[in-house]
Amino acid sequence: NNSSQLSSLPLQILLYVNGIYYIFYFLATLAMIIYKSQVFSYPDDFLTPDLAVLFVMAILEVPRLYLGFKGNLTEAEAPLGLSLGLTVGSVVLCVYLLLWQTYVLWADVLLNAVLLAAYGLESGLKVTAITAFVS
Amino acid sequence: PADTVDASQARVRSVPAPITDVARLCVCDLLVAQCDANCCCDPDCSPEDFSLFSTCSVPVVTGDSQLCSQKAAVYSLDVEANPPERIFKLIDQVNPSIFCIHATNYKQALYLKSPEIPTPENFDQLLDKFGGATFSAEPDTWNLDTAAQNPPDANETSKYEYGVPVQTEDAFLRLPSPVVSSWCSDANPAGFLVNQATKCIRSVSVEKCDSIKALSMLFYINSSILALTWFVLQVNITVQSIVVQSVNGMRTLLNSSDVLRLPMVLDELCINAVLGVNYHITHTDTGEIIEAAAAFVLGAISKEALSIEQSFEISFTQENTQPVPLSGNPGYVVGLPVRAGFQPQGYPFPAAFLFAALDLSSNKHSQLTILQSTSTQDCLAAQGARAPVLFGYNMVSGCKLRITAAMKCQPLAQTLLDVLKGQSFPEYVASFGNSQAQDVLDWVPITQLHISEQMISNTLQSSCQIPVSLGIEVKWTKYGSLVNPQARIVNVTATITTTTLKQLPSGRERIIPVTSSVVFTDISSPAEPSYKAWPTINIKLPFDFFYPFV
Repeated sequence: NNSSQLSSLPLQILLYVNGIYYIFYFLATLAMIIYKSQVFSYPDDFLTPDLAVLFVMAILEVPRLYLGFKGNLTEAEAPLGLSLGLTVGSVVLCVYLLLWQTYVLWADVLLNAVLLAAYGLESGLKVTAITAFVS
Repeated sequence: PADTVDASQARVRSVPAPITDVARLCVCDLLVAQCDANCCCDPDCSPEDFSLFSTCSVPVVTGDSQLCSQKAAVYSLDVEANPPERIFKLIDQVNPSIFCIHATNYKQALYLKSPEIPTPENFDQLLDKFGGATFSAEPDTWNLDTAAQNPPDANETSKYEYGVPVQTEDAFLRLPSPVVSSWCSDANPAGFLVNQATKCIRSVSVEKCDSIKALSMLFYINSSILALTWFVLQVNITVQSIVVQSVNGMRTLLNSSDVLRLPMVLDELCINAVLGVNYHITHTDTGEIIEAAAAFVLGAISKEALSIEQSFEISFTQENTQPVPLSGNPGYVVGLPVRAGFQPQGYPFPAAFLFAALDLSSNKHSQLTILQSTSTQDCLAAQGARAPVLFGYNMVSGCKLRITAAMKCQPLAQTLLDVLKGQSFPEYVASFGNSQAQDVLDWVPITQLHISEQMISNTLQSSCQIPVSLGIEVKWTKYGSLVNPQARIVNVTATITTTTLKQLPSGRERIIPVTSSVVFTDISSPAEPSYKAWPTINIKLPFDFFYPFV
């Protein structure tokens, strides 16, 4: 990093890639839930929580990424901290979709594992960036 | 004591757990404590039994193949070894698809639902749901209350289908019939194309005979029938004929049947009471009713009678056809007579246009019949007693023939042939239950075979051959769709077996048995379901796609 620039480039790249990957992840998971509801026996009181979790996660993702971008580019720690908080929520929902979904297919395992890895890496980079901004 | 009773009740209440261990599951193990043939997973089979098997009918027992990894029990026969032995392997089957189920948090996902066990708490609810005579997953769409029915669009006129109740302007055409007990219930609708004949008892009293609606002709003809199931055209029920039955049972046909005769009290008798109604409905081949007629039997009820028996009948005829009773539509129905016919006289061989007059006029001549056993069992006395051959029912009948020395061979042989075959043995049998006489290809010729019982005989020509048995073999097949197969007769063979009648010394008698049998054999080949082919995508690049590099 240049001494005058505290914004983290890896974090920026990762946030950008995360945004694109998340769109693919959302569409793929939604398509798989529709596939599961047709092929397997998927009663409504099991389908509703799974769909709810997916949509809540999508709604959380937008402010999370926006705050991440903003905080990193303006070198402000408050938005970045808020984004970190939202990341924790997204991680919990991702773990739900990985472990406690009604049907966990092998493709589900792959997608969620990649997303969890991305979140983990992102959180690490955000913490580093916050310490850099604060100090 | 109460607690042990409760414990045993609690044990009884739970359904036994399903077996999920693939090593113990065996679908072909049907006989208890016995070895099933070719069943490699049967625990009752010993190694000696396995050495006699030719193949394993159940090669693999596996759980749901959608799971990513599951156990599978593989059974095979090692035919190289002497003696052949069974090989049992427990392997892990892996589903390579990316959409295999890795885990599931829903217990009932991969198993069938266990039924609810009745307990004192849910008994009433289960009784409401399943306690009636019928129950279905969908709610009842047809009910007798026409006011509650939603009328279909005026543009949509639905034709009558088999079994659909015949509708009249206010409700349905009613055919009173006994329900549960012998008393008449007026709520039985007549189904379209369902020929029915019912008898039931109605309670009457002579004093009130003109007020009991079911005794008057008006009750049966006043509402007109709808030609189609929704209100378009109405067909009035005409009175075809009136037969008056007197008190002692004599029936007379009235000349004029257009006068409506209502019941009235006369001399302590109630006359003109309806004792029977016979509906004749004429319909088109597209399910529209065009004519309806009713033939009545009116009678008199005496003062002492508390109830009378009424009989009702309804029959459906297609317009411009002769009402020949069908034995199925189109495939034969088990239990109905096999229809048969002749080729008209004077024509040497069958040809399409000559077939038109197959003799189907009367019932008796249009059926295949077989000798009927009588109590006397004497062939010569039993001439004339014939039983119709019913589809699907194998029959054997016979009689005994007493031969004396005085009997001549030729007349005896001819008599026996008549006894076995009957007066008019048909030449053709209908392939379908509703084959019409003008459809040539729908009729199967009866193949006649003669077998002589003694193959090695010293004197062939000079000895007397008399027929002693007639065997009719009817080969039929299942025809049509997999879901609703129709029975179709493919081949009929009548085999006459003759035996040599040795000349008896005078004064001696011999009794020989004469038998006839009918056997129905199912020669249908197993059904092959076929699937629609998936559409294929044909993508071809245009010819000059790689211009200018080509």
